[in-house]
Amino acid sequence: MKTTKDVKIGIVLFLLPALILFITFFLFPICYVAVMSLFKWNGISGAEFIGLENYKDILTDKVFIRSIRNNVIWALAAAGIQVPMALVMALILSKKPRGWKFFRTVYFFPQVISGIAIASMWSAVFNSEFGVLNGFLKLIGLGDLARNWLGDPKTAFPCVLLYGLFYIGYYMVIMMAGITGIDAEYYEAARIDGASSLQQDIHITIPLIKYSIMTCMTLAAVFGLRTFEQIFFLTNGGPANRTSVVVLYLYNQMKKNDYGGANASSVMLIIVGALVIVSIRKLFTLKKD
Amino acid sequence: MSEKKQEKEIQTTAASKILGGIIRWVLIIFFAFYTLFPLLWLFITSLKTNAEYFDSPFSLPAVPQFINYINAVSQANLGRMIFNSITVAIVATVINVLAAAMASYAISRFNFKGKELIFALFSAGIMVPLNAMMVPYYTIFSKVGLLDSLNSLRILYAAIGIPISTFIIRGFMDSFPMEIEEAAYVDGCGFFGRFFRILLPLTRTGLVTAATFQFITCWNEFVYANLLTSAPENKTIQIGIRYFTNQFTTDYVSMYAAIVVAIVPSIVIYMLFQEQIISGLTAGAVKG
Repeated sequence: MKTTKDVKIGIVLFLLPALILFITFFLFPICYVAVMSLFKWNGISGAEFIGLENYKDILTDKVFIRSIRNNVIWALAAAGIQVPMALVMALILSKKPRGWKFFRTVYFFPQVISGIAIASMWSAVFNSEFGVLNGFLKLIGLGDLARNWLGDPKTAFPCVLLYGLFYIGYYMVIMMAGITGIDAEYYEAARIDGASSLQQDIHITIPLIKYSIMTCMTLAAVFGLRTFEQIFFLTNGGPANRTSVVVLYLYNQMKKNDYGGANASSVMLIIVGALVIVSIRKLFTLKKD
Repeated sequence: MSEKKQEKEIQTTAASKILGGIIRWVLIIFFAFYTLFPLLWLFITSLKTNAEYFDSPFSLPAVPQFINYINAVSQANLGRMIFNSITVAIVATVINVLAAAMASYAISRFNFKGKELIFALFSAGIMVPLNAMMVPYYTIFSKVGLLDSLNSLRILYAAIGIPISTFIIRGFMDSFPMEIEEAAYVDGCGFFGRFFRILLPLTRTGLVTAATFQFITCWNEFVYANLLTSAPENKTIQIGIRYFTNQFTTDYVSMYAAIVVAIVPSIVIYMLFQEQIISGLTAGAVKG
């Protein structure tokens, strides 16, 4: 097929809608936050150039430091706990035990339900008066442990972080797709050599889906860094900013009309995200096979 | 001697197989229970009276209280919220899938300068923390006068899904052979005709996959619905959930009924299009 003039016009016309949306809502905002983080701006009157002042302000703000620390813990937990659990379940369900399709469907549920709806369910679990968790503890005679889970500075952050880690469906499905793509010959050879199914998992399956695992860890870490809804809904950062995260911090700076600080936090989050993505990639390509 | 040893070995492998089987099933059931129990609990509680709920979080309702659902709908203006969410999701999905399909057609079927750059940029877009773009998005929509309007959400949601939808649709188009289009070209079918009459109908599985995924994303979106709209008549169902918790401070069971109403559509769509959603997600993730 020849590239005639009408084809050239067609290509441009067809690329335009997606490109306009992408430039407006992906490229422009990144440039915008990078530039505007150097200005002091309250959202109304003229912006004033102040160099790196905004960064100095947020980096000396205890709440911001706490927020970014929480995000990093979140990203590490998601990549280091949630993804390995998902990998184990992917290995198990890939052997197609009875009802595996049903279980795959069930594990995937939390992925299609909104974060807010799930958070509202868990707020019923953690509720201090009528909560499921306290009710359960009383039922089994451990009523002493009952507490206001989200109001107690010791338990608030572990609670909001932990409940989501056991929702493994998304990563499990990605890794199962990777496992499906493995040539059956590898396993036949291993079986002849007398390798047990656990040995096959460790020596064949896991190395061969290395890149699916890497993708999952990257996604998990990136999602951990952009957390917002659960925290906003369940604790709004409290008690005493113990559960704050960067996106909540920037939301609050915005509400306080400190747009410069909000933009600087966006930039910090983008930088941390890029570092995390690059280091996970390094980690996986470092060891040769 | 060696026979005995062999027998013992067989026994231990049999024992470890049984043990492995037990561990396997304990894990399978644990994760299923973990996912299903809160959902079931929510549904059962939404059918109890408040007195029953306060009495014990684990009891079953003596008589299912469907009136909780009627209360939820009448008190919280649920109907309006659901209507808003549906129209936002449909419009955003149509714009998104059409734009992504057009771009995919150009990228998949033609060679031009910068096409891989465009595609690489789109792919990188999946990793951009859009939650952190509150200030620019707010500024954009206030500049064009679309704050507190559902149109801002329609446009934004259509844009947010561009990377993933392009990924999915391009993948489908790439796997579809060129021969039919070449024959159509010989017969005088032009650039637009080949897209609308051949490629779109033939890659409709890919379009459905992208659309399903996009619809659920729109239906569930909270962050920007919360930031960009404020009037009660512009609330979406996700904003509603947060609002119920303040609204029904004493009427817990109606609040749970409202949350069930907010969850059900996603679950129904998921059950209908399960294969598409799973294949769409993995396509985007495995390559991305």
